[in-house]
This record gives sequence, C-alpha cells and structure tokens, in this order.
Amino acid sequence: MTEFVIALGWLGIFAPMALGAVASSIGCSIAGQASIGAMLETEGGYGRFVGISAFPSTFVIYGIVIMFTLNRDVTAQNAGGLFGIGLLAGIALLYCGIWQGRACAAAINASKEKPEIFGLALAPAAIIEGFGVFAFVFALVVSAGIPA
Amino acid sequence: MSDPDLYTALVASLPSSERLFFAKQPPLSRLRLNKRLAALSSDDARTLALVERLLSWAEYGMADDIGVVIARTRIALRDIAQPTLRAIVKERMELRTAIAALRMRQRGDSAPTGIWGYGRWTKHIVGNWADPTFRLDASMPWLRQAQVLMARKDPLELERHILDVTFQQLQRHAARHQFDFEAVVIYVLKWNIFDRWAQSNSEAAARRFSDLSLDALRDFPDLILEGGAQ
Repeated sequence: MTEFVIALGWLGIFAPMALGAVASSIGCSIAGQASIGAMLETEGGYGRFVGISAFPSTFVIYGIVIMFTLNRDVTAQNAGGLFGIGLLAGIALLYCGIWQGRACAAAINASKEKPEIFGLALAPAAIIEGFGVFAFVFALVVSAGIPA
Repeated sequence: MSDPDLYTALVASLPSSERLFFAKQPPLSRLRLNKRLAALSSDDARTLALVERLLSWAEYGMADDIGVVIARTRIALRDIAQPTLRAIVKERMELRTAIAALRMRQRGDSAPTGIWGYGRWTKHIVGNWADPTFRLDASMPWLRQAQVLMARKDPLELERHILDVTFQQLQRHAARHQFDFEAVVIYVLKWNIFDRWAQSNSEAAARRFSDLSLDALRDFPDLILEGGAQ
C-alpha cells in the first residue's frame, strides 16, 4: 500500500509537466493550423498569426516550474499532497492550453478579415491565460505546506 | 458531434461567409472552393456531396414523384451521422414544403391529400389551408412576408426572401460550429446561397438591360444593328 501511495506522489510531481506539455502541443497545433489556413487567404501579416499560434506554449513552462517546486523525496506523509496538487494543477493547465488554442484559432480566423480587431480578438485567449496563471501560482503557494 | 478542431486550417483558409454577400467581386470561386475542400476526408466529402445533392434543385426533376423524393430524402438522412446536418436538411425541406403549399393555394388548388410534402407540418398545413400563413406564424414567422410577396407576384423578391431565411437558418447552426465538419458544410451551403443570389442578381440585371434596350430601340425603328439585325 505504501508503495502505491509513493507512486501516486511521483505521479503528482510529474503530472503538471506532462499535462502542460500535452496542453501546449494541442493548443499550439490548433492555433497553428488556423494560422496556416489564414496565410492562404491573406496577403501579409503572417508573423502575427505565427506569433499567436505560440501563445499556448506557456503552459508547459508553468508545468515545469510546478514540477520543480513539488520535486522532493516522496514519503507516505507527503505523497497525497504531491498527488493532489500536481494532478489537479496539470488538469487545469491541460484544459487552459486546449481552450486557449481554440480561442487563438478563432482570433486568427476573425482578424484575417478585420485586422483592426486583432488586439481585441486576443482578449479571450489572454483571459484563459489568466486562469492558467491562477492554477500555477496557487499550486506553488499550496505546495509550500507539503512536508519535505 | 464531429471533432471540434478537425478542419481548423480549412475553415481559416476560407473568406468569411458574410463577405460573400458584400463583396463586389466573388471572393471565392467554386473552383477555388473545391480545391480547399480537397482537405476533407473521403467520408466527409461523401457526406458533403450527399447534403448538397439533397438541397440542390438541379437534382430534382419536374416529373419526379413526390413520394419517391420524400423516400429518397429519408434514406439519405439515415446516412448523415451529424445531427446538425440532419436538422439543416429537415428545416430546408420543411421550408420548401411550406412554400410549395403557398404556391398551390395561390394557383387555386384545394388542400392536398395523400403524400404531398415533407416534415412535421404537412397535416397542420392541410388542416389550416384557408389561413394566410397556415397558422404557422410562431414556427415560421417568415411565411407571412413570403405570402405577401407571392400575392404581389414578385418572384425575384420572394426568391431573395427565401434565400435570406435559409441563410438565417444556417447562421443559427453556424454559431455552434467553428472549425468542425459541420462548419465546413454550413460554409458550402452558404456559398451555394451566395451563388444563387448572384445568379438572381445577374438574371435580373440582364432582364432589365434587355427591357431598357428594347424601349430605347423602339424610338428608332429604322436602325440597322451590327450583324444586320433590326
């Protein structure tokens, strides 16, 4: 039983990094496909589209930072905390990354027709980034209470 | 429900459907549209062709038996897996049924019997044949305007009104589909509406030009036109 609890602890340490990577890859892929499509239809401003496509890449960075913060000797006492915080932070990052990718794709699709709304169209993606930052920051704050 | 991100690149590579109606030049030819649609999987391409075939007037002959047409539609609907696309086809067939009923009544026909139309309103329409809008104001609010235009014998405006209603129906479904297969089909159906809209405009323009030319030439009965025509 103890071994299983310790395994969960390790899972919790690596989950934010792994799920963050999945989030960023899916999000960047969705937004990237939209930017490729938009490039076929527009005559310029390609750099902007590619730039937006990279927005969801931040989630893997948050995941790496959380992983390093949680990383410690796993014991039966701290495994539960590591598992709970790591896994839930990872799931939050995963959803934020995928949906930010979709928001970026919508922004690219809209701003290819009306370049003047480019900044405003990014607002939903920025708000989703904010939610990801909440999950990131509070994972760090709460992890301070986990015994070393 | 299709994968919501399946055709992100394809949808992003198409000009917005609203622009189709406001552009001076068509922003996308059928040829270019077909090139973009090459990105569809074979199953999706088949479904798109099926939906287009069901909704295209060119696929229906004047002599086609209505029972056969309805049976064909029902069979085809079974092959369409996406609920949104099934709903779009059903709505369009019901719209056509209501317009057909208006035309029959305008012609002086009495309420039809047997199989005469498609959808849930056929019996209701027969039961309310004398009412100007068949008591369908709540579910088909556009029918009153269609009835007025038909009574006014204004086929061009009626055609535009029907295209407008059809476009609005598609817009309602489009709100729930951004980058999936349904979004692609809805775009193609909007493109078809744009195409018919543009054709109705060019036909009206050609008719108007012909009328004006005849009016102008009437003042010059002895005019010899190029090629010898008078």
